[in-house]
Amino acid sequence: MNAGSVTRLRAESTPLPTRRVEAWKYSDLAAVLPDVTLVAGAGSVIELLAGHVERLEVASGESVLNVDRFTSGALEPRAFSATVAAGGTLTRIVIQSASNGVLLGHIRVRLCAGATFRQFIYAEGAKLARMETVVTVEGEGATVELNGVYLAGRGRHADLTSIVEHMQPGGVTRQLIKGAARAGGRGVFQGKILVAAGAQHTDARQNHHALLLEDGAEVFAKPELEIHADDVQCAHGNTVGGLDANALFYMRSRGISETEARALLVEAFLIDAVPDDLPADLHGEILSRIRAWLGGAP
Amino acid sequence: MLEINNLHVAVGGADILKGLTLTVPAGEVHAIMGPNGAGKSTLSYALTGRAGYEPTRGGVTLDGVDLLAMEPEERAAKGLFLSFQYPLEIPGVPTMTFLKAALNAQRKARGEAEMSATEILKLVRAKAEDLRITPDMLKRPLNVGFSGGEKKRMEILQMLVLAPRFAILDETDSGLDIDALRIVADGVNALRSPERAMLVITHYQRLLDYIRPDRVHVLVDGAIVDTGGPELALALEEGGYDKYLAAA
Repeated sequence: MNAGSVTRLRAESTPLPTRRVEAWKYSDLAAVLPDVTLVAGAGSVIELLAGHVERLEVASGESVLNVDRFTSGALEPRAFSATVAAGGTLTRIVIQSASNGVLLGHIRVRLCAGATFRQFIYAEGAKLARMETVVTVEGEGATVELNGVYLAGRGRHADLTSIVEHMQPGGVTRQLIKGAARAGGRGVFQGKILVAAGAQHTDARQNHHALLLEDGAEVFAKPELEIHADDVQCAHGNTVGGLDANALFYMRSRGISETEARALLVEAFLIDAVPDDLPADLHGEILSRIRAWLGGAP
Repeated sequence: MLEINNLHVAVGGADILKGLTLTVPAGEVHAIMGPNGAGKSTLSYALTGRAGYEPTRGGVTLDGVDLLAMEPEERAAKGLFLSFQYPLEIPGVPTMTFLKAALNAQRKARGEAEMSATEILKLVRAKAEDLRITPDMLKRPLNVGFSGGEKKRMEILQMLVLAPRFAILDETDSGLDIDALRIVADGVNALRSPERAMLVITHYQRLLDYIRPDRVHVLVDGAIVDTGGPELALALEEGGYDKYLAAA
């Protein structure tokens, strides 16, 4: 297929996943895509989703930083596959600005022995936005750090889905996702960690915590641990709730307005998931985006 | 200064305060003592405007202004402060950030100029030292991981920094060892002045050895049943609340 070509597909024959696919249960593509036409820019949708668009090899011992920005207002599927050789490090930062588009990001990462994949996703959601991450630990002692913050305002759908497969021993996974949703906004977290039978001494921690800021906010969470090895450390935590009314009253009793007290509490809650050691300019950008969102901008 | 007139407060549909009347003039420190369940904490929450503590009858004025009509933050800007019996942990919000937000919000509400971070840091550090609060504690999220005594000292630090006109101390002595009690009492006494007043809620006479009250009130079953000088606290320590409970 040529770059810039237009593919016409009937909805019922779309090769895209439907809600019948378990992992797409909460992100209904059919509901947000035009009925019959999928318009694909460079390369077709099918190819993009199949992960043939971008390939990246991180050589042994090297460090690569990949910053991926989603800003489009239209349909934007993007797929990316990476292999990190022994001892290499791939750091990926995704910044997804609020839009009315349909944004699909898919990354598949393979880690060789002692390799590291660190990812931070900042997602403001879109008509439908889904950032999917699949990491396979194929070598011994690889490290996976998956952090993310999603903010789902009115009319926005933000889905962070991830699968980490530990196929070899001694791997470490640290995942912390924090989210907040306002009325009419929908957040989705699906996180699976699989530990294969041979992946002894895997140490995996998965945490997802979300705040429902208003009545009518939605968060769907599906944390999963699937463990086939018998000598591992795995833990997960998942909470969805409102702001602590007692903490709010405490702050107001000190003279802080309800609006400011809420903003301080939510910001503190979210910032916990933003790694301190991101490049300073990006760290600053993410903090100011969070503050702007809490101020009611998008 | 603070006038509580025939105050009735319901919590979850049950009447807890049943016609409480009390006046605390400027410059005075009054103590409220009473058995468990008398309504001492309900009084402190009703005065500060906590949701769920609904005044059903009566009124409260601070400097002649209707307190009950105001939001909690407006009451704070007016000069009301509550030292909580169980101070809250505020995860992720550093103590200095919290103090700066509170102080400047109050100043703004009163039409005063906001203070710079440097000015506030200087002010807070000076007060913190007196209370034996380390600079490291000021960097940590407010009250998170603090011991009971540290939290109480942190309440007093907030009080000294915010310099309220009317302070309520709700069982500030509970959970304090004798040294901490002295440090806290020194902090409280430093704030006493002819323009300020305080209401000290306690179970025990002990605190009143350090913070000498002008008047002592006995709260039983939602109303003040006796009032006297500091000697009343000593009598209560001796004889307990039995005579009031029997009458009630």
